[in-house]
Amino acid sequence: MLTAHWLYGLSGCLIMALGLRAVLLNDSLLQRIIALNVMGTGVFMILITIAYRGPDATPDPIPHALVLTGIVVAVSATALALTLIRRLTEEQDSD
Amino acid sequence: MIDILIWLVALPLAGALAALLLPRYATAIVISTAIATSISAAALLYAVATHGVMLYEIGGWPAGLGIALRADGLAALLLTMSALVLLASSIYAGAYFRENLLRSRFWPLWLLLWTALNALLLSGDLFNLYVTLELLGLSAVALASLAGKTAAMQAALRYLLVGLLGSMLFLAGVTLIYAGYGTLDMATLSRVVAAGPIAWSALALMTVGLLLKTALFPLHFWLPPAHASAPAPVSAVLSALVVKATFYLVMRLWLDIFSEVVIPQVASLLGILGAAAVLWGSWQALRAERLKLLAAYSTVAQLGYLFLFFPLLQALPAGAARDAAMGGLVILALSHGLAKSGLFLAIGIIQQRSGHDTIRDLDGTAQRLPATTFAIALSGTALIGLPPSGAFLGKWHLLSAAFSAGQWLWIIVIMIGTLLAAAYTFRVLGHAFGQQPYPRHPVTIAIEEWPALILTAFATIGLGLAGAPVWQLLKVSL
Amino acid sequence: MIITNMLFIDILLVMSILSLAWATLTATDVRRSVIFFIAFGLLVTLAWARLQAPDVALAEAAIGAGLSGALLLTAVQLRPRGTLPSEALDNEKQNRSNRADLRSSAAIRWAVTLLCIVLAYILIWALLQALSSQTNDNLAQSVNANLANSGVSNPVTAVLLNFRAYDTLLELAVLLTAVLGIFALSEERAGYAPAGAVFNGLVSWLVPALILMAGYLLWVGAHAPGGAFQAGAILAAAGVILRLAGKPDIGLPVSSTSYLNIILVIGSGLFLLVGLTMLALGRPFLGYPEAMAGKLILFIETAAMISIAATLILAFIGGRPHNREDG
Repeated sequence: MLTAHWLYGLSGCLIMALGLRAVLLNDSLLQRIIALNVMGTGVFMILITIAYRGPDATPDPIPHALVLTGIVVAVSATALALTLIRRLTEEQDSD
Repeated sequence: MIDILIWLVALPLAGALAALLLPRYATAIVISTAIATSISAAALLYAVATHGVMLYEIGGWPAGLGIALRADGLAALLLTMSALVLLASSIYAGAYFRENLLRSRFWPLWLLLWTALNALLLSGDLFNLYVTLELLGLSAVALASLAGKTAAMQAALRYLLVGLLGSMLFLAGVTLIYAGYGTLDMATLSRVVAAGPIAWSALALMTVGLLLKTALFPLHFWLPPAHASAPAPVSAVLSALVVKATFYLVMRLWLDIFSEVVIPQVASLLGILGAAAVLWGSWQALRAERLKLLAAYSTVAQLGYLFLFFPLLQALPAGAARDAAMGGLVILALSHGLAKSGLFLAIGIIQQRSGHDTIRDLDGTAQRLPATTFAIALSGTALIGLPPSGAFLGKWHLLSAAFSAGQWLWIIVIMIGTLLAAAYTFRVLGHAFGQQPYPRHPVTIAIEEWPALILTAFATIGLGLAGAPVWQLLKVSL
Repeated sequence: MIITNMLFIDILLVMSILSLAWATLTATDVRRSVIFFIAFGLLVTLAWARLQAPDVALAEAAIGAGLSGALLLTAVQLRPRGTLPSEALDNEKQNRSNRADLRSSAAIRWAVTLLCIVLAYILIWALLQALSSQTNDNLAQSVNANLANSGVSNPVTAVLLNFRAYDTLLELAVLLTAVLGIFALSEERAGYAPAGAVFNGLVSWLVPALILMAGYLLWVGAHAPGGAFQAGAILAAAGVILRLAGKPDIGLPVSSTSYLNIILVIGSGLFLLVGLTMLALGRPFLGYPEAMAGKLILFIETAAMISIAATLILAFIGGRPHNREDG
């Protein structure tokens, strides 16, 4: 197992756990959405770490494709969530 | 014939795109797509019954390198139920939404939800499941927020965040599986997965993610507001199908892929949570002021019943008793799907005609809307589990499984749950049959009342008679 | 020597990423969170590059840090009274005099922190088990073996657009669903004032450069890092810049509903059409004939790029454009 695996794998797990903590505990909706994105990045980091085979070998392309799909899905969900928040804020303002 | 698997996904997707491009003909496109998809689902059911498990490798690439679609008895049954519910709800929705504006936004999202459901039920690849879960979640949230009121949007936002959290945990589990086994194909995994830290962690992560989406107690907090404030046809599909789809995934994981990894104690934990869901959900349904909230809490309770099967299936050795319990589980799931969707559609009619759905003010409903009240009564029989409904068969097998496994606690829970269900059903019917002093002319059955009637009739009579065929189909399994 | 240097860079990178993640998640001011998040995304891009994932690095920089950051920045705009948008959930809780609600209770915070520590432990334990055992390389070898028949030579593009094309089709459907949901919810946000001379000057050469870059990324994706998603994101960036410069026409046919719908649908639509055409020709769904595979993939990617760009721009402007006939 390469050092890169250790480092990045560990940090991916930590980022995911930190993100989860923030999703559950943070007050603001916006911060929770950011936390969800951070959590997602943690999972992606674990995926890319699995794919890494060393500085000289070609990495496994399948996790790369999975992460690409994941990034696009995450931004779609974030966009929808942000629009919902904006609508709700406008409703609150007009009360 | 094998192409039917991909047509089940391609048809609703094509319909969604067509409805978006040609908004003037959207309703016609949707209804014809609905009919075509339903016929395909029935064809799949027939094909699985005669030919066994069906496999379709997309792109021609072997499963593992590419993505495979698989259909066995369970998937085919759920697909047919979804098709029936969605077809009926589409007809209902056509009459429910008056303005063309709402329809032009509703129809494409509706068909995209159908695409997601079919894709999920047929998928044979773990990451593909993640993508279908996200598609399902986003389309459900978009549809739920169409009601436009603040409460609906708050509930939709909470639903979205919970759903995203669940998907993220699911993806983490999938990542661990790929790290440990190097493949995402579910059939391959069910052969190679062995007990160990990777399998346990992955199963735990995926299950928690799915339980969030299936609203198992205590992760159910998001469901009642979301299902109660969505428009009626959307509530029907959310309660009947969307939560069932994620439950189906829990079944696949626990009973199929990870069957050797599961520990009895954790299965009992699922059972305990299910029992809590039954008791809490039924109690809250009894206390509910509004019909839609009652129906939503009833969904929480009914899902609890489904989870009661897990410790029993774990405890029973392979054989006739276990097969009967499986059959009971599936029939209960199908019955709830049909009955709950019919209930929500009926409540929608009441809401539109009376302007409200408060239970105390339901007097005169039986006089004005006799067909709808009958539909509610039928749905109630299916939710309580009275003969000859399919739910009766399901609960009967649940009880016999509990007897044979010697786990008496569940029997008490089931009895209390059934009593509470009877209480809240008769409470609603009691109010609905209240006489108004000056009864208006009874309205003849309008087109929007037929779907609710047909769905609930299927749930009570249809499924009750269909027990044996369901058993046969379930034997065709992966 | 090189190995030691890389290790040093790795440790530095990981520590910076972790610190930025911590800063993002614990900032009290939401605006600070967003800025930290963008920086976090950019450093994560470096991590992807370091782990030999250039396609992902491109996508992360353009979409993950860039567009998500832009979306979040527009979401933290100030309200007229100078305060930030308050949280829409839990209105009832705000009205209660007892403000010590569930989340601020110390016991709950401790329980959740414990839960997350357990999660981290489980993840690390399982991951290290998986990484230290024999790596299952079957799939990667399978990809390499079939790469020659896939029509492209970039393995990631081969996986995305050929082997696992069905996933990409569904992903385009996800994008469409999101934008339809956004359309149903609201109209576009207020635009920006027309730009001054300097910005206009920048826009007049930057936007064409971005369009060229997008075209290049699309073309080169077949044999080098790049592809439809990265190209679409660059095009979306061009649209965002036009919007920020106050241009009324953001590169989309906003005045016509039907044209806009066509552009949104063209990605998934053409993809589905190609798949069904293969069915009609007696081949499996999305089973491209080897001779045509490269051209078909480019064709699909072009359509996908257009839809992706349109979706991301419309997500940025926040809703239905004003001039649409049906509002």
